Amino acid sequence: MTRWSAALVLLLGVALVPLQAQATRQFRTRLSPVPVAAYTATVVGSGTASATLTGTRLVVTGTYAGLASPATKASLYRSQKPGMRGDLLLPLTVSGGTTGTIAGEFTLTAAQVAEVTAGRYYVQLSSEKAAEGNLWGWLLAQENR
Amino acid sequence: MTTRRLFQMGAAAVAVAGAVMVVTAGQAPSGAPVYTAAQAAAGRAAYQANCASCHVADLGGRNEAPQLAGTDFMNTWRNRSTADLLDYISSQMPPGRPSLAADDYASIVAYILQQNGAVAGATPVSASTAVAIGTVATGQRPAAAPAAQAAAARGGDEGAPRPAARVAQPRGVTVAGSVKNYVPVTDEMLLHPPAGDWLMARRSYQGWSYSPLTDINTATVKDLRLAWVWNMNEGGANQTMPLVHNGIMYLWNTGNTIQALDAATGDLIWEHEVGPLEHIGFGSMRNIAIYGDKIIAATTDARIVALSAINGTKAWETVIADRTKGYSNTSGPIIARGKVIQGLQGCTRYGTDRCFISAYDVNTGQQVWRFNTMAHKGEPGGDTWGKLEDNFRQGGETWIAGSYDPDLHLTYWGIAQAKPWMPASRGNTVFDDSLYSASTVALDVDTGKLAWHFQHIPGESFDLDEVFERVLVDNGPDKFLFSIGKSGILWKLDRRTGAFVNARETVFQNVYDRLDPKTGRITYRNDIMEQKVEQWIQSCPSTEGGHNWQAMSYHQPTNALIIPLQQSCMELSGRKTELRDGAGGVNADRKFFEMPGSEGNVGRLSAYDAASMKELWTVQQRVPFLTAVLSTAGNVAFVGDLDRRFRAVDVKTGQTLWQSRLGTSVQGFPVSFTANGKQYVAVTTGLGGGSPRQVPRAIIPEVHHPNSGHAVYVFELPTK
Repeated sequence: MTRWSAALVLLLGVALVPLQAQATRQFRTRLSPVPVAAYTATVVGSGTASATLTGTRLVVTGTYAGLASPATKASLYRSQKPGMRGDLLLPLTVSGGTTGTIAGEFTLTAAQVAEVTAGRYYVQLSSEKAAEGNLWGWLLAQENR
Repeated sequence: MTTRRLFQMGAAAVAVAGAVMVVTAGQAPSGAPVYTAAQAAAGRAAYQANCASCHVADLGGRNEAPQLAGTDFMNTWRNRSTADLLDYISSQMPPGRPSLAADDYASIVAYILQQNGAVAGATPVSASTAVAIGTVATGQRPAAAPAAQAAAARGGDEGAPRPAARVAQPRGVTVAGSVKNYVPVTDEMLLHPPAGDWLMARRSYQGWSYSPLTDINTATVKDLRLAWVWNMNEGGANQTMPLVHNGIMYLWNTGNTIQALDAATGDLIWEHEVGPLEHIGFGSMRNIAIYGDKIIAATTDARIVALSAINGTKAWETVIADRTKGYSNTSGPIIARGKVIQGLQGCTRYGTDRCFISAYDVNTGQQVWRFNTMAHKGEPGGDTWGKLEDNFRQGGETWIAGSYDPDLHLTYWGIAQAKPWMPASRGNTVFDDSLYSASTVALDVDTGKLAWHFQHIPGESFDLDEVFERVLVDNGPDKFLFSIGKSGILWKLDRRTGAFVNARETVFQNVYDRLDPKTGRITYRNDIMEQKVEQWIQSCPSTEGGHNWQAMSYHQPTNALIIPLQQSCMELSGRKTELRDGAGGVNADRKFFEMPGSEGNVGRLSAYDAASMKELWTVQQRVPFLTAVLSTAGNVAFVGDLDRRFRAVDVKTGQTLWQSRLGTSVQGFPVSFTANGKQYVAVTTGLGGGSPRQVPRAIIPEVHHPNSGHAVYVFELPTK
């Protein structure tokens, strides 16, 4: 290896360090009805939500369809484990209507990065006739699937 | 309300009320009367005809059918209105099939109010009557004539107006016939079943659900076609497993009717209505047994009957337990060393009666031994129930037939969880192990004496039952026992000693933070340890189970365990339970949702290597599988599902090789056999059942199937 080529390798190595730190991770979930004791005509529909984590930046997008009433709000929640109810964490924007989109963009703390990576975050969407929750789903890392 | 339940009644009540005020029964109601005496009388008849099979004639409840009169009922409904109650039962009862006339529903509400101490007046109850139940009812039963009380206890309805259609009485042998050239079933046959026979639950003492037949194999299965179909009685639940011996199929038909059919043609040879013909609770019977010249069957009202396998005449009959206290059976016996070994279902009511496994002389029906599944004070394990008195130590049902190791002379049974479901409801904590709930027990087949036990889930809290099949597999000199419960944990034990060997999580679970790799002891999540009544707690899996009664198959040639699994979650809220004899039940409310990460695939079929317990393959689909798995030496495995598909998969990959769409949901235990030298595969279609049916109704509403169609389908290869 020549001096020049060695320097090039070193330069590339230095350049790759921040790139690795900015590695992107993908999360995804199906959105499905929140808990129901029996089929409930007002708590129907489905959708998907995805999240991209780049460094500490989390970008959430999603779509939904088939609600029985127009969507009113969507939020990101933090639970202890997938499948458990948790605390309201961050608001998402929702387009409204019985078919639509959700979105949000956040800067997370290091602890929150660990939490989302552990599958502890879930998206919950409410609607006019299901004000306490209509659809939900846990954002799970795709590399683990 | 013939099949299910008002068990969801409390769900909305708790949600609406937030904190429900618990008041003792007997406070004077202040409201004006809201029903008429005539309406209550009509309601009594409608109740007995449509609701009592689950909620019991005295409204005391059983299993998941809650008490409808008394403090537990009032604690759930006190703050809700009569209109809420009427709306609930009109829209939900019978579960999945609300079908009564509007007047009947209103009358039943009137009867329930009357039985909770509400006074009759001049105005009939209707949908527009919105009065808080706590303002008109006390939870105290009205005084009744002694004759009427006695009749109710017997399950009858004397003294009440007759229902429109009374349940028919069983008639005994209704089709006379005789099996020609019958060959008695010997001990040797049970030890080493002839390849073309299916002589017991899951075919072998080891519980493999495996057939050594090879004509139907990976190459030929694509040509499989219908040979014959036999419609079965409608109503109730159908989850049965036919037996086949020497070309004759013996079938438990719904309504406790036993039939003998020519297994090659489907021609009926004899039929015996054992009864009761009415459907009790979930009402299915998953297996029957055969020995000598007798068919031996448990009934849904907790009896055992022995019929001639030749002509169906009754040889003997024995009562296992008192039906009027809610006892029943949903699985039949195994026969080992001349004994009929039988479990018991419906042990949810507080009282001095106990739940047990029992053995009976196969020739006489006389009880030989009995093993009580819930330990009382002063007995081994009796110190694992906290401060609970003996009469409040209920549950521990054995609703799946056990297995048997003829070399060790041990029979292996899974024991259900304690009741009510949540320790907080039953006055315990998760730190009260409550033996022998949620355990495997190994009993000496001659004496019923406990050889060992292993408790899978101490202090079980979510109806995550561990009662299902025990599969016995040898690896050289090592003798293992495999089981999997609703938690979805596949357990491997040393079946000589009960020592924990290994465990593997199959579907996602979030109930246990840790499973000790050396002992198998689980550690609950913190919030579950701190559980309280009337507090929703989430659980994955749900009561549908990561695994349920649909048994796995052990495919010996590949050393693979092929397991039907389900993926759903729930939140569950335990109710406050009155500590008095007659109360109890499961006493909890549930809400269901899809399992995170499942992508909405509730059904899953997975194979695991029995040595390493590593996953070999998995296939998933939207609807759950509702049959056991049958694997064969032809390297195919058969399984059916909710959406009417019956399929054969390659045991090495899970790839579907053949499928057919049947009349309704495919539910039961597929079997394979020969008749006239030809291999057949049989499976039942069926409706009814507990969580495996309830959960899909809640979270897979887009899938529809006919609400009739109980049948047995038999498939064959074309004649060459």
